[in-house]
Amino acid sequence: MVSAGLFSIGIYVVLSKQNAIQVLIGIEMMLNAAILNMVAFGKFDKINNAGQTFALFAIVLAAASTAVALAIVLNVYRRHQTIDPGKINQLKD
Amino acid sequence: MISTLQYIDSQTVTYALAAVGLPLVAAIINLLLPARSGRVGGWISAVTIFLSAVCAAIVFGSIWNHNALHTQQLWFTIGNTAVNAGVLLNNLSAFMLLLVTVIALPVHIYSTAYIKSEEQNRYFTYLSFFCFSMLALVVVDSMILLYAFWELVGFSSYLLIGFWFTRDSAVQANKKAFIMNRIGDIGLLSAIIILFAQYHTFDLVALFGTNGLVFKSTIQNGMWIALTGQMPQVWQYVAFAGIFLAVAAKSAQFPLHTWLPDAMEGPTSVSALIHAATMVAAGVFLLGRVYPMFSADELNMLAIIGCFTAFLAATIALTQNDLKRILAYSTISQLGYMIMAMGINAYASSLFHLATHAFFKCLLFLCAGVIIHEIHHIKEEHQLTIDAQNINNMGGLRKKMPLTFIATLIGCLALVGLPFTSGYLSKDGILIQAFEWAEGKSVWFKIIPIGIFITSGITAFYVARLIFKVFFGEFKLKALLPNVHLHVSDGSWGFRIPLVFLSLCSLFPLFSFNPFSYEHAWLFEGFSLSNNVLGESIYHHVIPVSISVLSILVAGWAFSVYVKQRRLVLSESSFLFKMSYNQWYIDAFYKRVIVKAVLLLSNALYWFDRAIVDGFIQVLQQVTLFLSGLAAWVDRYLVDGFLYLVTQLVKGIGNFFRGFQSGRVQYYLFSMLAAVLAVFIIKLLI
Repeated sequence: MVSAGLFSIGIYVVLSKQNAIQVLIGIEMMLNAAILNMVAFGKFDKINNAGQTFALFAIVLAAASTAVALAIVLNVYRRHQTIDPGKINQLKD
Repeated sequence: MISTLQYIDSQTVTYALAAVGLPLVAAIINLLLPARSGRVGGWISAVTIFLSAVCAAIVFGSIWNHNALHTQQLWFTIGNTAVNAGVLLNNLSAFMLLLVTVIALPVHIYSTAYIKSEEQNRYFTYLSFFCFSMLALVVVDSMILLYAFWELVGFSSYLLIGFWFTRDSAVQANKKAFIMNRIGDIGLLSAIIILFAQYHTFDLVALFGTNGLVFKSTIQNGMWIALTGQMPQVWQYVAFAGIFLAVAAKSAQFPLHTWLPDAMEGPTSVSALIHAATMVAAGVFLLGRVYPMFSADELNMLAIIGCFTAFLAATIALTQNDLKRILAYSTISQLGYMIMAMGINAYASSLFHLATHAFFKCLLFLCAGVIIHEIHHIKEEHQLTIDAQNINNMGGLRKKMPLTFIATLIGCLALVGLPFTSGYLSKDGILIQAFEWAEGKSVWFKIIPIGIFITSGITAFYVARLIFKVFFGEFKLKALLPNVHLHVSDGSWGFRIPLVFLSLCSLFPLFSFNPFSYEHAWLFEGFSLSNNVLGESIYHHVIPVSISVLSILVAGWAFSVYVKQRRLVLSESSFLFKMSYNQWYIDAFYKRVIVKAVLLLSNALYWFDRAIVDGFIQVLQQVTLFLSGLAAWVDRYLVDGFLYLVTQLVKGIGNFFRGFQSGRVQYYLFSMLAAVLAVFIIKLLI
C-alpha cells in the first residue's frame, strides 16, 4: 500500500512538475516505491534476503543514475537557460 | 519574236532604256541619301533628267519619221501563252519620251528652288519615280506592262498630291485622286482582259499595229469576229467603255474629272509636271496607242464627251478664285479638246495639241507657283490669314514681277490660241478639223464644233480675268498692310530659267516656221495617219480669224469688267454664276448621291457585320463562355474539392499524430502512462 501510494505520488510529480529537479525527485520516489515493493515481496521469496540484496543494488544504481541525471540537467540548463521540461521540446525533431 | 537588231537600232533601244532607267536610279539614290543632305538630291535628279532628256533626244532623232522599232524578250509563259516584255519605239512613243523629259527638266530645276531643302529628298524621290513610271509607260509594248506603269504613274501622283501630308485637305485630295483613278484602272484592266480573251495576246504591235489583229477583226451580225475567235459584239463596247473609263479618270474627263482640281493641293511644281503636262496626257496617249480599235460610234462618243468636258470645265473656270484651280479647270478643258480631237479623227492635231499644251500649261503653272511662293512669303512674314492662292488678294503684280508677267502672258496667249503662239497652231487645227468633220453630217453634229468654238471664247474670258486680276489694278495686300513695304520679285534663277525656257517653247518657231498654218508643223506631219491632202476649205481662213477676233473682243470685255470695274453682266447671285462657282454641283452631286449611296451601303454592311455576323459570333462566344464556366465550376468544386478533401484528411491525420511528437519528455511519459492504463483497463474489461 505504501509503495503503491509512493509510486502514484512519484508519477504525479514526474508528470506535473515544472522543474527538472522535482521531476528527478519524482523518479526517485517511483524507484524507491519499486525497491520497497522488492523488499516487501522478498518475504514471499524462497531464497532468503534476495529481495533486500537486490534492493541494495537498485539503490546504488539509482544513486548513479541520479548523478547522471543531475549532470544532464546541469547541461540542459547551460544550453537552454531553463530546466522546465515543458519548455524543452528539442526531442521532437 | 526576238528579232535580231541592227547595231544602230540596238543602240537606239539602249538609249531609250537609259532615258527610262535614269530617273529610277535618281529615285533610288534619293531614297538612300541621308535626310540632312540638303539640295544634293535635287541636283542629282535634275542632272539625271537632263541626261535622260539627251538620251530621249537621240532616240527621237533616230526614230522620228523612220521605221518604228520594236524589240522584245520572253518574259514568262502561262500555259501556251507567252507574255513578252519589250520596247516599242514609234513616232508616238519617241515623241512622248522627248516631251516628258523636256518638260520634266525645267520642272526639276524649278523644284530645286521651290521645295524647302529639308523636304527635297522625299520630294525628288517621288518626282524621279514619277518620271520613271511615265517614261516607262510611254515606251512599253505590252498591255500588261502598260497597265503596271499606268498604276505606278497614278501611285506616284498620289504620293505627290499628298506631299504635304500634314494638311488635311491634301490628304483628302490624294485619296480622292487615288479612288477616282482606281475606277479608271478597273476599266483599263477589264478592257485588257477582254482584248486578251478575244485576241490571245497582250502585244501592242500585234494588236494595234498596221495589219494587226484589230484591223482584221470585223463586226458582223452582232458578232465581234477576229482571226483568233469571236464573241458577242457587246464585249467590244465593254472594252471601249473600259478604255474610256481609264482615259476619263487619268485625263480628268467628265464624269471623273473632279479629282484634278483637288489635286492642286500638291506642290505647284508637281501640278505643273503631272497634273498639267504629262500624267494627264497619259489618257490621250492611251487613246493614241489603242486608236485603231474604236468604231465610228465610239469615236462620236469620245467627241461628245470631250466637247462637253471642255465646255463644262471652261465655264467653271470663269468664276473660280483660286489661281491653281482656274488653271486646273483650264487643263481639264484643254484635255477635253484633245479627247474630242481624237473623236473627230483629228489624231495628229490631238497629239500636237498635247505637246503644245504641255509646254504652255506647264509654263502657266510654274508662273502661278512663283506668284504663290511670293504671296506665301508675305503671308508668313506678316502672319496674315489670307489664302495665298486667291486671285482676289493679288493684283498689280505686273511691275513687281515683270518676267513672270511676260511668261504668264505668253502662256495665256497660247492657251487662248492667238497667233504667233504654239497654241494657235494646235488649237485652231482642232477647230478647223471639227468644222470639216461636221460638214456633210446631220445638224446635230454641228453642236460639237460650235460648242468648242464657244468654249474658246469662254477660255479667252477666264484667261483675261486671271491676267487682269493678278497683274493689273492695285495690289490688294497693300490695302491690308498699308505701312509695310511688300517685297515681291521674280525669284531666284531657279525660277527664272525654267520660265524663260518654257516661254520660248510656247511660241510658234519650235513647232512650225509658218506661224499661221498648222498643217506645216513638223509634229503634225509626223502624226498624220494618212497622207491625204486636206481640202483647202473656207474654214482654214475663217476659223483662225474669227477665233482671234472673238478672243480679243472677249478679252477686251474682261478688261472693262475687271480693270475698269464695270458691272459684271451676271450678278454674283444669279443661277448661272452660282452654278459655275460651285462647279456645276458635280462634286456636290457625287457627295450627295454616290458617296452617300456608298456610305449607306457600307453602313448597311457595317450593320450586317455588327448585328448578324458579330451577333452570331457573340452568341457563339456566350455559349462557349457558359460551357467553359460550367467546366470551370466542375473543375473547381468537384475535382479540386475532392483533392482538397484528400489533402485535408491527410493533413488532419498528420496534425493529429504530430500533436504527440511535442518533444516534451513529460508528455511522452504521460502518453506512455495513458497507454499502459488503457491496456490494463481493456484487459480488465475483457
